[in-house]
Amino acid sequence: MSFSDFLLMRNELLLVAAAVIILIADMSFSDENKRGLYNISLLTMIIITVLGFLPAPSGKLFGGMYITGDIYILMKNILNIATVIVLLQSRGWLEKPGQQKRMGEFILLLVSVLIGMSYMISSGHFIMFYLGMELATIPLAALAAYELNKSKSAEAGIKLILLAAFSSGILLFGTSLIYAAAGTLYFEGVMAILDSTAFTTLGLILFFAGLGFKISLVPFHLWTADVYEGAPTNVTSFLSVASKGAAVFILVIILNTVFKSLNDVWDPMVYALIIITITIGNLFALRQRNIKRFLAFSSIAQAGFIMLGVINDGGLGMATVIYFVLVYVFSNLAAFGVAAAIENETGKESIDDYNGFYRTNPRLSLVMMLAMFSLAGIPPFAGFFGKFFLFTAAAEKGYYILTLIAVLNTIISLYYYLLVIKAMFIDKNGAPIGYFKSDTAMQVSLVICILGIIVTGFTSGVFDYMVNLSQQFFLTLQ
Amino acid sequence: MIENIPLSHILIFSTLIFFTGVYGFLTRKNMITMLISIELVLNAVNINFVAINKYMFPEQLEGHFFTLFIIGIAAAEAAVAIALFINLYRNIRSIDVDEVTEMKH
Amino acid sequence: MDKEALILFFLSAIAIVGIGMLLSWLVAPKSKNIQKKEAYECGIPTVGSSYMQFRVGYYLFAIIFLIFDVETVFIFPWAVVMKSMGMTAFIEIIIFFGILGLGLLYAWKKNALRWD
Repeated sequence: MSFSDFLLMRNELLLVAAAVIILIADMSFSDENKRGLYNISLLTMIIITVLGFLPAPSGKLFGGMYITGDIYILMKNILNIATVIVLLQSRGWLEKPGQQKRMGEFILLLVSVLIGMSYMISSGHFIMFYLGMELATIPLAALAAYELNKSKSAEAGIKLILLAAFSSGILLFGTSLIYAAAGTLYFEGVMAILDSTAFTTLGLILFFAGLGFKISLVPFHLWTADVYEGAPTNVTSFLSVASKGAAVFILVIILNTVFKSLNDVWDPMVYALIIITITIGNLFALRQRNIKRFLAFSSIAQAGFIMLGVINDGGLGMATVIYFVLVYVFSNLAAFGVAAAIENETGKESIDDYNGFYRTNPRLSLVMMLAMFSLAGIPPFAGFFGKFFLFTAAAEKGYYILTLIAVLNTIISLYYYLLVIKAMFIDKNGAPIGYFKSDTAMQVSLVICILGIIVTGFTSGVFDYMVNLSQQFFLTLQ
Repeated sequence: MIENIPLSHILIFSTLIFFTGVYGFLTRKNMITMLISIELVLNAVNINFVAINKYMFPEQLEGHFFTLFIIGIAAAEAAVAIALFINLYRNIRSIDVDEVTEMKH
Repeated sequence: MDKEALILFFLSAIAIVGIGMLLSWLVAPKSKNIQKKEAYECGIPTVGSSYMQFRVGYYLFAIIFLIFDVETVFIFPWAVVMKSMGMTAFIEIIIFFGILGLGLLYAWKKNALRWD
């Protein structure tokens, strides 16, 4: 192995370098003025994101522990974009007087999580997967508890770390059973050896429960609402798109490679999970009045929709999952961006406070409206195509009843997404939130999100490209 | 000497520890105890990996190395969790889960 | 044969501890007064309960210690294969130490190591 092989890990190595740069920069800026630190971090992250689009070699490293290829790079690019948007959105919040001192911690933890997610996606071995997953979880708990003098924030951090540790323990127990059955921990080796017995099924179920926690599928979703509400809004937005997206990506990869031979075991499992996840997520979202809690339950329902692509277990399914996550990144971050801007300015989080928001802040209301339309899946926005492709993927395999249930649930979800829009545009309010101007970084991030919602919806090339890559991925498996 | 103990005994033992941990996590109210329960779960996994490695696949050391990584990460997890407990204690003067009820829907 | 060895092992373990405690009980001078039962035998009467809370600063040190302590778990396997792997292993461990050292430097710079 020569040192040029390390170029395969380009994205991760650059991120590690960025983390080191940010660490050193944090030490060298004074506590009172950290603007320079923010600019440096943003610049490095943008450079890394742009570099990610350059053509990259594919191959394996460390004897198959680390796998990379075009589809892996694509997934990492989506996560990089999400991180840059979150970083842009958190500028106003980070630069508040009194907050600046700890800005370095926030950015550093955010980049660490991104490193962990990248390694997790590229893992070809259970140790690598576990390391990446924990690196993507532990800093998130610290981020959730970032606001030290708010007890809600502390609560969110504790709930996240305790449940994450517990679920990773369960996941590891499943892994140990799979190890006993296969005798190796390399994904390739396990894939070749694993056969469907009661023992491996138990291993798969425990493993799936651990990952289901990260995606917040329904029996494992109990932490979601509390953590989303308690954590700072910018952290919540990162948690709901990047963390969930990364977990979905690796779930698709692992189910289709490692557990391929257990296909007839996890297909009914995913089938049942989709139905309860979408339904319960929707029903709970109906009665939420806090915008963060509302988005938490809506994200649970969206996770259920994403699983429609997973159940397809083929190239089309994988492509739809990636496409939907990309769309979801833009739509959800737009919604969270507006929520964060309002919270920053006024400290209000309740949907009732949004009454009459259109009169005072028409532009932000329009962004929120677009985001809600996209999340609800109203044509011609990207969210519609995302959901449409997911339904196609599920129907392709003959899951017609499942697709029907999902479509019915889309209609329920339409109701509560429109409630937010109704509050902003139609409901009267004696004392609406006053006019305010959000900072430039926030505006840029919202423009990126809106462009993303529209461009990914209207250009068919994006989806074709993903289908192409996914089919290549499945071809190399055989 | 250890060869005389069959693998099944070790696996039964580790499974018992695992479920003790799960039970403790679900029933205990004190957060430190919950953290200890999680450590029990992780230690059950460690025993599993080492025993399976030693008995079934002694030519490779993957199980042993997985254990090392689990120990390292468990320490990091405990460090962060305890720091968060202290932070919570400063805010609400308690680390009992029954007291942590600010967000109920 | 093995069972006997195990029993012998436990018996000798109990015996060694027991004999030590017995000897110290026989030989050591005994004093029976009230101060003996206090938390600190420094002459000053203790105020309040000796079950007091410790400063949170101890935890900070303990946490930082814990992280660096556990890293040794990764250094032992490295030490075993260091000779056979040569330069690559050396560079890798230097990077490992470098990142650890950077973490310590960060804690230092953030005044996490200051006691006041």
